[in-house]
Amino acid sequence: MEKLYWQSLDDYKEQKSNSVIDKKDATPEFSIEGLDESEVKGQSSRRDFLKLLGFSVSAVALVSSCQMPVRKAIPLLNQPDDMIPGVANYYASTFFDGKDYCSILVKTRESRPIKIEGNDMSPLTKGGTNARVQASVLNLYDDARLKNPSIAGAKATWDAIDKEVIERLTKLNEDGKKVVLLTSTIISPSSRALIEEFITVYPNVEWITYDPVSFAAMRKANELNFGTSLIPSYSFDKANVIVGFNADYLGNWLMPVTFSKQYSVNRKVIQDNPKMSRSYQFESLMSLTGANADFRVGIRPSDEAAILLNLYNEIAKSTGMSVYNAPKTNIDISKVAKELLSNKGKSLVVSGTDDINIQLIVNAINTALGNYGYTIDINTPVNLMQGDDEAMDNLVKEMNTGTIGGIIINNSNPVYDYSNSKGFITGLKKVGTSISTSDIMDETALECEFVCPDNNYLESWNDAEPVKGHFSIMQPTIQPIFNTRQFQDNLLIWMGNSDDFETYMESKWRQRLVDVSNFNSSWNSIKHDGVYQIKNEIADQPEFIGQSLMAKKALDKGIELVLYENIGMGIGKYANNPWLQELPDPITTATWDNYLCISPAYAESNDLKLEDIVSINGIEIPVLVQPGQPDGTAALAIGYGRTAAGKAGNNVGVNAFGLINGSTIDIKKIDGKTYPLALTQMHHDMEERPIARETTLAKFIKDPASGNELHAYDEKHNVTLYNKIKYDGLHWGMSIDLSSCTGCGNCVIACQAENNVAVIGKEQVKNRRIMHWMRIDRYYSRDEVNPEVFHMPVMCQHCDNAPCENVCPVAATNHSTEGLNQMAYNRCIGTRYCINNCPYKVRRFNWFEFTNNNNFDYNMNSELGKMVLNPDVIVRQRGVVEKCSMCVQRIQEGKLVAKMENRELKEGDIKMSCEQSCPTNAIQFGNLLNEDSVVKKETKNPRMYHLLEGLHTLPSTSYLTKIKNT
Amino acid sequence: MIINNIIRNNSLFIKGFLISGFLSLFMLVSNFGFSQTAEDEKNFQVCKACHTIGGGKLVGPDLLGVNEKRDEAWLISFIQNSTAMIEAGDPIAIEVFNENNKIPMPPNALTDDQVRGLLLYIASGGKIEGGELTASPETENVEDMDLKTAEETTKLIAEMKRDGQRNMSYVFIVLAILFLISLFDLVIIKIVKAKWIHYIIMLTSVVIIGEIVFVEATGLGRQQYYQPDQPVWFSHKVHADQNQIDCKYCHFTADRSMHAGIPPVATCMNCHAQVKEGKKTGTKEIAKIHAAFENNEPIEWVKVYNLPDHVYFNHAQHVNVGKVDCAQCHGEVEKMDEIIQIPDLSMGWCIECHRTESVQFTTNKFYDQYTKLHEKLKKGEMPNVTVQNIGGDECAKCHY
Repeated sequence: MEKLYWQSLDDYKEQKSNSVIDKKDATPEFSIEGLDESEVKGQSSRRDFLKLLGFSVSAVALVSSCQMPVRKAIPLLNQPDDMIPGVANYYASTFFDGKDYCSILVKTRESRPIKIEGNDMSPLTKGGTNARVQASVLNLYDDARLKNPSIAGAKATWDAIDKEVIERLTKLNEDGKKVVLLTSTIISPSSRALIEEFITVYPNVEWITYDPVSFAAMRKANELNFGTSLIPSYSFDKANVIVGFNADYLGNWLMPVTFSKQYSVNRKVIQDNPKMSRSYQFESLMSLTGANADFRVGIRPSDEAAILLNLYNEIAKSTGMSVYNAPKTNIDISKVAKELLSNKGKSLVVSGTDDINIQLIVNAINTALGNYGYTIDINTPVNLMQGDDEAMDNLVKEMNTGTIGGIIINNSNPVYDYSNSKGFITGLKKVGTSISTSDIMDETALECEFVCPDNNYLESWNDAEPVKGHFSIMQPTIQPIFNTRQFQDNLLIWMGNSDDFETYMESKWRQRLVDVSNFNSSWNSIKHDGVYQIKNEIADQPEFIGQSLMAKKALDKGIELVLYENIGMGIGKYANNPWLQELPDPITTATWDNYLCISPAYAESNDLKLEDIVSINGIEIPVLVQPGQPDGTAALAIGYGRTAAGKAGNNVGVNAFGLINGSTIDIKKIDGKTYPLALTQMHHDMEERPIARETTLAKFIKDPASGNELHAYDEKHNVTLYNKIKYDGLHWGMSIDLSSCTGCGNCVIACQAENNVAVIGKEQVKNRRIMHWMRIDRYYSRDEVNPEVFHMPVMCQHCDNAPCENVCPVAATNHSTEGLNQMAYNRCIGTRYCINNCPYKVRRFNWFEFTNNNNFDYNMNSELGKMVLNPDVIVRQRGVVEKCSMCVQRIQEGKLVAKMENRELKEGDIKMSCEQSCPTNAIQFGNLLNEDSVVKKETKNPRMYHLLEGLHTLPSTSYLTKIKNT
Repeated sequence: MIINNIIRNNSLFIKGFLISGFLSLFMLVSNFGFSQTAEDEKNFQVCKACHTIGGGKLVGPDLLGVNEKRDEAWLISFIQNSTAMIEAGDPIAIEVFNENNKIPMPPNALTDDQVRGLLLYIASGGKIEGGELTASPETENVEDMDLKTAEETTKLIAEMKRDGQRNMSYVFIVLAILFLISLFDLVIIKIVKAKWIHYIIMLTSVVIIGEIVFVEATGLGRQQYYQPDQPVWFSHKVHADQNQIDCKYCHFTADRSMHAGIPPVATCMNCHAQVKEGKKTGTKEIAKIHAAFENNEPIEWVKVYNLPDHVYFNHAQHVNVGKVDCAQCHGEVEKMDEIIQIPDLSMGWCIECHRTESVQFTTNKFYDQYTKLHEKLKKGEMPNVTVQNIGGDECAKCHY
């Protein structure tokens, strides 16, 4: 093998010192932490024996005298035409939480939403979702949700609230005292119109938009450069060269789902016409985008402006634009500049830093490259991220001076996520009337007098215009579960409008749609599709107004702090969602915590290692040594440290919102103290076998099988004693394009939601018992300073010669005539032989009962939380082994539909849960006996290989080598 | 000892028969019918649920003068299958359907001649020609038949129960005692000298006890012949047999969904908005439906056919795709008043059918992709394709 892959720094050190991996200090199969002494020793006392004896005798007595429980069948009083018990309905809707936008389909069973799918009719998200969108259905069934409105902490009725609030608003209006409506970004045109109308009724109301993550600098820069404060729309699919500066566009930046779809278009390599985009990423932490970039450069945050200005100068020199004084940097950007210049109009430079100087330079570079009108469009601006930092700062000042008479806070939690939280709280106490519309008793709602709980988005009507001309409808898929009311309905009632928001919104759409004569049918079709597009008039890009550019010299000492959003938590709105808490971070593979990422060099010189505790600005936090973390930086995820999110999310990690991004920090080691982190990185270690296979575009053009030479060798040398299974009709298979996969973790949550996978909590994750049926393996290669990252989704490979099948003493796992490695939980007696014999380590053992167990107080321990369970999939009990079933319930459903329609199965009829919403279409599923299916065609691809094919397990799942454009 | 006590509450079942028998006798005395022929009179019993002759509109229209209003051919086909005519777009049929609150008339399996007789009966206003007032012996026969079938059903079910429910507790106890005595004698008192006698007794009793335990343990969690009390005394016999209502009229999702569907109260109200009195239970039971509808409280039926949670069963697959008749699993429901579970719903019972039943292999295009099986079928290597042949006995067909 040419390349050595490693999973942790310990691995890497071993490789470096010795290059032959022989001694691997055997870590125990599972950690013994958290177990009591007798468990560790594996001893049982006489007492235990007697306990067991007594238990089994009484259990037998109980079972034998038991009667079957009486089960009720309660039909509906009046069954609606479109609701058939046992058949799923899908409704198009929209996910928007103030930050992320996604067009979705909501799968409902018996009228309750159980799964989110991507809506492939959307021209923006094209059927993709991200992990948070997938997990959002669980928020609907969150026990922390408020059940009733309240006044000053006491339960109240809506009538009482309305009466009091209207009285107060009228009084404040008469007195001319200012009332502030504080919201996160609102992209709904109807809601915006409603708020404007509200302001005409109460002219003393001022509307302030606040987002914890700000794009204010970019908007300001565009205002200076193009005359309008906006965020342009980007087309990553049209760019041959993409240069990102601290912009995690595949992870969290602006519209990650849309950008992932666009990005992956040029990452899929066709053998006949091998072309690929090239991506550069300059960043101050290891982000998902950096992990996928062809070239990644670690930089200090303070160095970014200087590098960009140098890049600009380099480009300006050859395009004849004015050159500015730029401080010298250590980074050589001439290669990037050259490449950008040769791809004028087909390149894209983006920066995610909220600094106006940087955004001005980025705009100047894109102008010099002629990208406006091609990869960047000013005329179709993105409406997301409208937060106005200045207005927010002013508001806090005004609140503290006592000039604000009232405040209505919607979908915003400044007490938790505003940098000057204390100032906000003291100010809020001086505001006479404070109203929160939070759906949970969050940090801000706790400080408010009136709490008017909002509906979940799956219970609400709304519309959205994330990008100019792209409309999208949000429609309720369930009646409000609790006594809650939509924010917009509050406004309507408080302004004396008797309409509900649905009617109001419909009237607005009546104005928007040209063909009013046929309104009902077009309105219905928009609601059906979930999306509606108005063609924007083609116009020239506005003229670029040059601004003078400047950059400061980078700091060369000290540690600069980088705050980032991780894939699971984002800005921390869904901290109480246990699925997201337990989603391993795609880079660090950590769950249930945030931590300070430091560079390996810093760790070495300061004698720090994983799980040591350090103190920064008075905050104590564990350390994670992150390969690729640039020297002189440390990264910390925001979105943790909630105190009023709910039982799963409270006090997980630390709150980093009080720290300043880019500031210099002192890291003090706290001696003798450690804090355990639950990383899944070393679980299911595949040792050093040729699992990750990759090549470069240049090598691929020369030899399409490059990097995959072992495949031909293994094919030739494999012999077996078993007969080859002959299939008839159906043989399911899966194909995973590692070139497309970004490792975003969407599939992990999609699988969890579809297959009722249990959440087990931090302690058990640490004990290596994570239950996810599919995982994203992450391998590093090259050095620790700037490693290459390799992501690989692994689930059951459904081998034809499955090693697990022939060791099962009770034949609980066996092979189907459709090529599935099936698992009969009811037959399983839990010997775990199969787990031992599975070379892919994809089988999971239920060490505990995860339902109705107070030790695992997550969604499966709550009547409400259980509503999310998929009724077609059983919930596994303690003592059985489970694993990926290749969504057999979806296969059976697809087959049934075809039979009922009296037709053959078509390619695409059945989609796996992980495949359906993949934002990069990396996963394909189909019938290997169908010559036209993608999976069958991919088996002939020279890039195709199976995991550990030397074992001749003949998996039905195949992988395509990763191709990097280096 | 494992107690096989899963059949409960069959007292009301018996009560139901008693009540129905009593009511029928009462009707025999009080009810004098006038009929064209006995058969027509009998056939009209079905119509009576929704129609009168000159008594005003019930669920369906008053049939007085219907012979003059519509032509005979139309009436015959409408009576035989009204839904088909509505679907075919017959304007009069649609009009009638709409006039009667869009409640379809269930199809009737009657020959043309039977319908003609029925029409004559209607034309006569429910009297025989000439207007002669005579007590009709045929009516008696009808009620007799009613009683007879009731008896038959009781017998049938009793037989089935006897077959399925052997009570082995005495055998178990006797054998256990025998075993202990032999053991006692063998080890302590030693009266019988020939030790082989002990061994034979002990071995035999252990084997038989083992067999009993095995059978009883296998039956744990199974509910064959389960017949619980239902909140409403609903008779499938009255609905499915006497009124000839198709199963799928009420269980209307059976061919579309995994659940056959317990009919919503609104479906009951299609007919019972008008039919407020039953022959057997008077207004008592039907009033419960009305109460449920008016108070917005769904009826909590007791589920009879229960599959364990780890089994996935889909009605649409069997009814729609497999063309399996309802009776194949649920028995002769039309002979039961309250539903009783006929099969034991064991896995062996499922698999047995999957091994023998053939699939719609040549008629359903889905199966076209099984090319190898089609070849074998063509060559005559196999007589038919059973469910098992296409993987119908594999774990993941029902367990996931």
